Order: sequence, then C-alpha cells, then structure tokens
Amino acid sequence: MDHHTHSTAAPRELQMARSMCWHCQSEVAGEYFCDRCVKVQPVSKEVDYFTCMSLPRRLTIDQRQLETKFYELSRAFHPDFYQNKSTAEQTISLGNSALLNTAYRTLRDPIERAEYLIGLEAGSVKEIRNSPPADLFEEILELQDTLNEYRATDCTSETKSTVLAKLQAERELLEQRQRDMEAALQQLFIQWDRLQDRAEATDQARAERSRILKQMRENLSNRTYVKNIVSDLASTIG
Amino acid sequence: MAYSDKVVDHFNNPRNMGSFKKDEEGVGTGMVGAPECGDVMKLQIKVQNDTIVDAKFKTFGCGSAIASSSLATEWLKGKTIEEAQKIKNTDIVQELNLPPVKIHCSVLAEDAIKAALADYQKKSDGVLTDAK
Repeated sequence: MDHHTHSTAAPRELQMARSMCWHCQSEVAGEYFCDRCVKVQPVSKEVDYFTCMSLPRRLTIDQRQLETKFYELSRAFHPDFYQNKSTAEQTISLGNSALLNTAYRTLRDPIERAEYLIGLEAGSVKEIRNSPPADLFEEILELQDTLNEYRATDCTSETKSTVLAKLQAERELLEQRQRDMEAALQQLFIQWDRLQDRAEATDQARAERSRILKQMRENLSNRTYVKNIVSDLASTIG
Repeated sequence: MAYSDKVVDHFNNPRNMGSFKKDEEGVGTGMVGAPECGDVMKLQIKVQNDTIVDAKFKTFGCGSAIASSSLATEWLKGKTIEEAQKIKNTDIVQELNLPPVKIHCSVLAEDAIKAALADYQKKSDGVLTDAK
C-alpha cells in the first residue's frame, strides 16, 4: 500500500472518517464519535490494529505512543462509562473495548506485531509459505529421541548422566540459535521500516518488500520450531 | 479439553513409530511442519510393486499430532499409491474425533502423506530416467 499519494492513502481513512452515524445519520468526521450527536461509533472490523492505534505499519514502534493511545481510547470506550446509556451504545462500547484490547496486546509484543503485519501484508506477497527446513526438522526429531531415551533410563544409571550432558550441550546450542534468529529478525524489522519510511512504489521496492516479508515469515516459523524444542528440553532436564 | 479415547490410545501406544533409511530403495519420505504451533512430522512409506508394504512416522508435537500420524501409517499399510492419494484429513478428523482447534494436526498428517508419496514418485522417476 502506498502512503505518498492521496489517491491510494485515502480509502483507508475513509472507512472511519466518512461513515454515517448509526444514530443521527449525519456524516461522521471525528475519529470515534459523531460530531453532531456525540454518540460513540463502532470501530469498523475492517480497520487494522495499526490504524486503530494511529500507528504507521512499522515494526519498531514507539511503545509510549502506543500506550498513550491505548489509555486514551480505553477511557473513551470503557463499558463503565456507558452504564446509563442506551443498549446500542453499550454494545458498541463493549465491542470497541474488546477490539482495542486485542489490538494493544498484539502490537505491544514485537513477535506478535510482526506476525500480524505479515498477515496483513501477505495478500500482496505470493508464495509466502516457505519450504520446510528439513535439516532443522531432522535435528528436532533426533533430539526428541534422545529426550525419550533420557526419560526412559533409570535415574541412577551412568547412561543417564551421559545423556543429560548431551542434552545440556544441545540446549545451549539451540538457545544460541534462537538468539541469532532474533537478532536476524531485528535486522529485518529495521529493513522493513526503512522501506516503509521511503514509501516508494517502484517494482524494485515491491520486490524488496516481498523478500523481507518472506524472510521474516521463514525466520518466525523456524523460531517457533526451535522455541518449542527448547521449552521441551527445559521442562525435561530442568 | 479432553482427548478422545482413540487419540489417547494412539498417543499411549503409537503404531509404527520409527524410521527407514532415506535412501533405501522404495522409501518415500515426507517431512512437514506447522509453523503456527511448531509441530514437526516425518512420515515414511516403503513401496513394493506399487503397494505400500510398510510405513513409519516420527512426530514432535501434541497428542493429536502424534495420533494423526500414527493413524495415517496404519491406514497407509497395504494401500496402493493411488489409494493412498485419496486419504483426506477429514477422514482422520472423523476417525479420531478431533475438535476444531486440532484440525490442523490432521492437515499436517495429510500433508505428510502427500509429501512422502511425492518423494517416492520423484525417486522412482529418477530410477527410470537413470536406467535409460
């Protein structure tokens, strides 16, 4: 999506700005309240979390800004303030609050934020699903065998301590790998943001966007596999 | 959420757990993963005269994923390649009584079957071309 031309940037804002008030049918220009009758307006399901929080689609965000917006909107939508209002308004307040909470929780966490952004952008990226990392899978399955062996052996036996040492070494390697993946992910976030800030609509920029999204997707799923086996290791060997 | 009796049974007594050597003749290997939950599944078939004579699996994941792949290997044995292609994830869902949140485990098992069959076919095609 382009941000530098009015023609393409406008539709997204239109969803909120130019809707009709459900109560007085006048055009709503304000963000979440009708200017004429001051009734709360439902946040459209089409609005993505970034737009909802007035944030650009970037991966490094200002946490303070996110929090401030969250508190501001929480106060505006909180069901407690609608107890004496109509049922329609109460329903809107509940729906908006739920959406707001999910939006905040998603954007607050860097990994969830990235997952969400990829989901939003995936429409423009073909073949985002990566081929399975066969080496990593083999490693995980092999490690699982060792884990089973460890669980099955007698606590006092000598084999147990040998297997334990092997598992501990594996765990350290995997944890290092997870840190490396997260560092690589951080780099991709920075690249994505630079590209977003430049807001170019050239073929080259589009190709670059696809590449970054695909790499992020790949990195995130590999990270999930590694994270899973690491937590399985941790719960078994302590 | 409780697992169905069939899932528990497959989980406690997994059928055909283990693996074949990848480069063994007639062996097809399917290796798939679910990036959403981090489950990993390896499913292998051993084919003789177009019939699957043996199947093995190794799965790292939840009980439903293990049960789905265990069941898949049971079903594969004795089937022809063509019959095996017809196994659908919905059959697994039905047999194991999987709840909606675990449907992706059956999808993973179907993907693993497809991948193993494709790998076998690729390998056997290769043998034919080499023979020419």
